[in-house]
Amino acid sequence: MGSIPLGLLWQNLRRHWLRTGLTMASIVVAVFLVCFLRTLIVALNAGIEASANNRLWVQSAVSLFVDLPLSYQPRIASVPGVEETCKFQWFQGTYIEPSNFFAQFGVDAAALERMYPEMRLVEGSFAAFVANDQGCLTGSATAQRFGWKVGDVIELEGTIFPRPDRTPWTMRLEAIYDADNPNFDKTMFFFHHNYLQRALESGEALGNQGVGTYVVRIAPGADATTVMAGIDELYENGPQRVQTTTEAEFNRQFVSMLGNIPTFLRSIGGGVAFAILLAALNTMLMAGRERTRDFGIMKAIGFRDSTAFGLLLGESLLVCGIAGAIGLALYVGSAPVVATAISRMFPGYRATPETIATGAALALGVGLLAGIIPAWQAGRLRPVEALRQEG
Amino acid sequence: MALVPLAYNLRSLWVRRASTFLTVFSIAATVAVLAGVISLEQGFTAIFAESGRRDVAVFWRPGAQDEGSSIFKPEYADVLIKNSPDIELDASGQPLAAAEMFLAILREKVDAGGVVFVPIRGVQPMSFTINADRLRTIEGRDFAWGNDEVVVGRKLVGRIADCRIGDVLMLNTTPFRVVGVIDDSGPFAGEIWGDLERLRVALKRDAYNRVIAKLKPDVDWPALQERQRRDKQVPADVYSELDANLRATERLSRILTQLGMALAAIMGVAAVFTGINSMLSAIASRTHEIGVLKSIGFTAGAIFSSFLFESVLVGIVGGVVGCALSLPLNGIQTGAMNFNTFTDVTFAFKTTPTVLVTAFLFSLLLGIVGGAWPAWRAARMRPTEALRHE
Repeated sequence: MGSIPLGLLWQNLRRHWLRTGLTMASIVVAVFLVCFLRTLIVALNAGIEASANNRLWVQSAVSLFVDLPLSYQPRIASVPGVEETCKFQWFQGTYIEPSNFFAQFGVDAAALERMYPEMRLVEGSFAAFVANDQGCLTGSATAQRFGWKVGDVIELEGTIFPRPDRTPWTMRLEAIYDADNPNFDKTMFFFHHNYLQRALESGEALGNQGVGTYVVRIAPGADATTVMAGIDELYENGPQRVQTTTEAEFNRQFVSMLGNIPTFLRSIGGGVAFAILLAALNTMLMAGRERTRDFGIMKAIGFRDSTAFGLLLGESLLVCGIAGAIGLALYVGSAPVVATAISRMFPGYRATPETIATGAALALGVGLLAGIIPAWQAGRLRPVEALRQEG
Repeated sequence: MALVPLAYNLRSLWVRRASTFLTVFSIAATVAVLAGVISLEQGFTAIFAESGRRDVAVFWRPGAQDEGSSIFKPEYADVLIKNSPDIELDASGQPLAAAEMFLAILREKVDAGGVVFVPIRGVQPMSFTINADRLRTIEGRDFAWGNDEVVVGRKLVGRIADCRIGDVLMLNTTPFRVVGVIDDSGPFAGEIWGDLERLRVALKRDAYNRVIAKLKPDVDWPALQERQRRDKQVPADVYSELDANLRATERLSRILTQLGMALAAIMGVAAVFTGINSMLSAIASRTHEIGVLKSIGFTAGAIFSSFLFESVLVGIVGGVVGCALSLPLNGIQTGAMNFNTFTDVTFAFKTTPTVLVTAFLFSLLLGIVGGAWPAWRAARMRPTEALRHE
């Protein structure tokens, strides 16, 4: 293909600045939307990505909603290969109103630090959290969302564990964690299981005395499969059967429970991409039609067919490329804000290089497809016919 | 004021048919995505809303957000049933009320792999009496009271492991035999039912989760709710079955509605831009004609309405095509997690009149918004200049 007069290409873009602008705006919107939807799907899998190989989860074989007796913990701890165990009790308290949802767990405070080496405290200390029976520790995302600082008193209304006198569960924020792994959930909220247990025993609060899950850390070199089988065997004949899984498997089950939701998101993304392809094609066809006379003149004075072809294809690629870049900039720039807004459903939302590449490929793909038909038509034009056309 | 003949618009749409076609389809794609998301929401909500009755009361522990977190001690449930004057009695004078246990149990999906939570419900004989008008055994037989047997909802058969007649469903350490398949217009078609007491023993559950009751006609709902909330012995929140069902679906339903609205807004903007583009192009290439129209006496208003009509027509056709594209979705079964109970719900896309009307009005809006400004530009052209244009 001969050289393409870039100045002319630029002039063509400017000739209908409004149309170019509107087309670009639609492509910006589409690239952003497709990237956004893809990030949602990726975010659903963030938990699996962040899983540690040396942590196992023990849950009831019947249901996550069935508690395991507290007496299980010492027996699980005695299984060869188990280095440490930690209670993990889902609490689901309401902070001011139900829409302020975040995951809360009653845990063995002293075991938490060793169980989660990923957690890096940015405020407060583990020692202070362990020392205060009514202390709590939360992730930077949740602290930011509610504007909490260490020392703040946080009141949660019990839903699974209501208090008949209708007083709230009261805790003092002792530490805030962050994590270097971007997939690690920074919304979790931990408090002492002891605080819950004491209230249940004294009758201050109602609910089952037990634990939904135990987290287990296995010793270096221990074989996870053997340890899992060892734990499951303990309660093969009841009273409450358990199912031990790797952390990745434990998290994967939540993704599989979402059913077809990822498929919905993918189909919607496909619909958006298709609509935008039509829009871009429409614009480029218009541009091609309008240039018929120009191209006739160009050909008559000796430019090659390939120049007309290149001009239109180049215009399409340029429009889509610039719009794609703006869309991607919007996507990357808005990611922190969006992540905060939807952290409840998608704690792992963040811009990733793979998604940026997908967005770029979409923009350029649309540019190529939308440019090639009018470009091909322009390349085939016969100068005499083209010159005869008016307007 | 004389209007520009409609044939003029139709012909001009035909002349630039490639552009018309592409605009129609880009509006259609937008409308189809919107219609698809709304029909998902409609299908999901329908299962719960349409089957909810207003004369059946559901009692939850005060403050409980869903059935699973509601707990009644068995003796309290009995007191509640005996002492509530609003509960209808059957022919033998027994209150038409039942205590039930509800648990989301972890089961494997046989169709797609992975696991889901499946609702299992321990029921009493009165549960069947209260639901007699809608619950049907479509295969096998009912479970026998006192036995380790269950019946499974139609939607579970073939989707969830061990849910065929003759299969053995392991609940903790107790094997239960599947003896029948039940069907229901509402959520029960996705549940497993068994004898309340047998399931409680097997699953080691001390408590019941809810009480349901058929109410006497003309019950004073606010009074009943107030009295039960303040009850000294067994305080409880009372909802009609309809309200309880709606509460149990509110999260996923809201997510789908918001998703639909957000997508419609964002994709709508893109579709409007496309519409404006093709109208501007159409008007630019007809400048000369507009000059002629003006000089033979058509007013600015007539020209404005003519071009607006053209855009609206494209929008409407796009809307109709979009609705048509979404129609094949109707009835397709799909599954998602109900975020209120974490249980798996199987439901079908449902293209209701609401879906079609919303989608159509949306396409109309796209046509109007996309056409107004170009039409205004056309109307404002000065005849002398327009005529000079080649």
